[in-house]
Amino acid sequence: MSEFEIIFQVLINGILFGTMYGIAAIGLSLIFGTMRIIFFAQGAIIIFFAYICYWLFTLLGIDPYLSLILVIPAALLLGAGFYYGLFKEAAALEQKEVSLLIAIGLLWLMENAMMVAWTPNPRTIVTAYTSWVLRPGGLVIPFTRLMALLIALLSAVGVFVFLKRTRIGTAVRAASEDMESTTLMGINPNWVNAVAFALGIGLAGTAGVAFATVYSFDPMYGFTFVIMSVIALAFGGFGNVFGALLGGIILGVLQSGASFFVSAGWADAICFGTFLLVLMFRPQGLFGKKV
Amino acid sequence: MANQLLEVKGIDVFYGDGQALWDVSITVEEGAIVALVGANGAGKTTLLKTISGLIHARKGEILLSGKSLSNLKPQEIVDRGIIHVPEGRRLFSNLTVLENLKLGAYVPRARPFFAESLERVFSLFPALKTRKDQKAGSLSGGEQQMLAIARGIMAQPKLLMLDEPSLGLSPILVKTIFELISALNEQKATILLVEQNITQALKIAHRAYVLKTGEIVMSGRGDELLANEEIRKAYIGERVSKR
Amino acid sequence: MKEERLAKYPFNLLKSLIPTKITRNLIYIIIVVLIIVAFATVPFFIDVDTSYFAYYLFLCFLYIVIAQGWNVVAGYAGQISLCQNTFFGLGAYTTGLIWLHDITKTGYYFDPVVMVLSGLVPVILAIIIGIPLLSRLRGDYFAIGTLGVQFTITVLFLRGGAFTRGADGLHLPSVVFESMTPYYWTGLLLALFAVAVVYFLTRSRIGLALRAIREDETASASRGVHVLKYKVFAFAVGAFLAGIAGSLFAYYLFHINPDSVMNLNWLFFPILMCVLGGNGTIIGPIIGAFFLAALSSFGSVYFPQTHPIFSGLLVILVMRFMPTGIIGLKDRILSRR
Repeated sequence: MSEFEIIFQVLINGILFGTMYGIAAIGLSLIFGTMRIIFFAQGAIIIFFAYICYWLFTLLGIDPYLSLILVIPAALLLGAGFYYGLFKEAAALEQKEVSLLIAIGLLWLMENAMMVAWTPNPRTIVTAYTSWVLRPGGLVIPFTRLMALLIALLSAVGVFVFLKRTRIGTAVRAASEDMESTTLMGINPNWVNAVAFALGIGLAGTAGVAFATVYSFDPMYGFTFVIMSVIALAFGGFGNVFGALLGGIILGVLQSGASFFVSAGWADAICFGTFLLVLMFRPQGLFGKKV
Repeated sequence: MANQLLEVKGIDVFYGDGQALWDVSITVEEGAIVALVGANGAGKTTLLKTISGLIHARKGEILLSGKSLSNLKPQEIVDRGIIHVPEGRRLFSNLTVLENLKLGAYVPRARPFFAESLERVFSLFPALKTRKDQKAGSLSGGEQQMLAIARGIMAQPKLLMLDEPSLGLSPILVKTIFELISALNEQKATILLVEQNITQALKIAHRAYVLKTGEIVMSGRGDELLANEEIRKAYIGERVSKR
Repeated sequence: MKEERLAKYPFNLLKSLIPTKITRNLIYIIIVVLIIVAFATVPFFIDVDTSYFAYYLFLCFLYIVIAQGWNVVAGYAGQISLCQNTFFGLGAYTTGLIWLHDITKTGYYFDPVVMVLSGLVPVILAIIIGIPLLSRLRGDYFAIGTLGVQFTITVLFLRGGAFTRGADGLHLPSVVFESMTPYYWTGLLLALFAVAVVYFLTRSRIGLALRAIREDETASASRGVHVLKYKVFAFAVGAFLAGIAGSLFAYYLFHINPDSVMNLNWLFFPILMCVLGGNGTIIGPIIGAFFLAALSSFGSVYFPQTHPIFSGLLVILVMRFMPTGIIGLKDRILSRR
């Protein structure tokens, strides 16, 4: 491959991987907007759904893309369940530490439960189309990664339309800005939180399936993933669905580029350092709303 | 006597361990404008927040048309018709004017009347109609205040509570706002008005209460209090103003 | 009215036995002094080197310091700082590096100069990042900012090359370890110091300012309170406490690497302790520390394999059903009567 093609390939890889971060970031943004905590368990939940997808495929032969039909509603329900079961009381407290700790406790619990139940060995899904590859002009684009990108875009559009066009979605947007005012409109804050949470977990489910079709995964990867998603969110900006997605893509490109041009070891440092700089000098992210 | 729409009876309110309101009692008759005046930090906003359910009183009770509001969540109180337009407007600046108004009518009680409420609001505030698709944050201060009040009206209020509607507005706009409040009252709105601008508030109020460091120190008819020497000295300034 | 008075009767009775406020305060002071003396004389009654109880107490003291660190930043100043473990690690590394390179040339062991320096290095970081972060980022976003700091610094230490020796870290000569006793006393001293810091902070003008800021930042600012200065100060104090705790830990562990001194437990434990014991109180973190240290030590003894799952489950259950912590339990029980 020519130099130009190599660079382009690195770019494409980054974009494709970055959309994973992006979907997770949208979910984080929704939960942060309403509950004001970083939902650290997001990554573990993504991996959890990756496993679900894996088991649906391995044990029942359900194609990963088809499994979305099952996974998305299940994830939405799980999200609502998580909220009402775990976070409802804590969300009302002024001190956010309690919600934060519940999220972290959930992360620990899920990670370790998955480790015990499903062993720490990495899993991969291999379907008929896993090895399909598109080769536009010398570049290599795996079919599954493209599909993952498509899923990410569709999810983003779906969430966007929901937020902008439905009454409930508008309530969620309002609550992300000012929860107290929203309550004064007669809107039940728990209910708004639950919707945002359900959406967040729904997105995690989608990301999990998309991830499972492309990459191999193990129970402990969830934490790394959520950290990168937080960074993606900071890049993209809070309160903006497509911004979060773009933030993920930018991060993906940054990570891919740094990995390739500097070294895999320093890629992390570069990503974190950029994260810090963005927070210090442009806290609202590149596309976000006021902070 | 007109019906007592709102009765606040002897409430004590605490912020953590610090007491903010001591044995506060007020009543608001249906169809009246009742003003709550006092200096900064006297507890006016605290009282409104207690009525709207954002804060819980440790003692005492609050009745709407004779029914107790204690143990109700804020959103339920809104559904009963008590609408609190908070201090500093607290609009959803990233949402459009229309979206703000839509949210105003979110409550089940108000939702069926959305279309007519919207029409009414647009006729009261033509500027909002022209700007209906603009982001609320891009409106001027005066327009934002109008939107805040309009949003409150969308909820079909039985009792409209306005917290410092004239704050930060130019004198002309202040006059407009108070004319608006009077107009609303003429259209049968019951209004509880919290204000630092005592002169204007007392001019349009039927009755008023003076709140000082968490206690009601004086109450009476609006015009009486306006003429009252103590009040003039303490809050309006000693010089006789010929406004 | 009457029922209220009857319920308060025992307390009133007690109050009447202690005539004046001065006498009451005196009794509190005496109790505190007795407790301190009790702890201080433990090594004379128990063989500190072999006793598990002594180890437990040492852990308690260490935990008290980091818990109070979080207490200052979150409980009193109301900021969520997600880089406390970074400050802890920095303190540990400072101690390790000074020792290894024999910078202060005062010989080994528990050099107070080294400890103070280990506390100050995190303070410098706290000020450098605190000023831009606290001035630009509102509460919740500030937390994310500190998270960024945490990741960045952890990775930097991992890649620190020859200076920080990467993932393997610094190995201190453990031959100098003779007895647990100096650890115990230093730990006790640091714990007392941490509690004293919080005590005096709350009663000082700074404490009042912090409380005002936490309650209503815009109102305080409009009244001329220099919000940024106080926030950074609280942040720095939290950093200092974490740093000296890290220093003590370095002396104990002898092996300093990112995994042992910067791992996220050092971030979450203080939060957990303060929530358990009660945020924004002086005694809360102490209670939380004793509780968590007990769980830590028993956990590793009795449940070494399944430890992580249960800690996750435990945290969820406790936070879900006891969000106001142990101190909150008292209020909840009382309100049920």
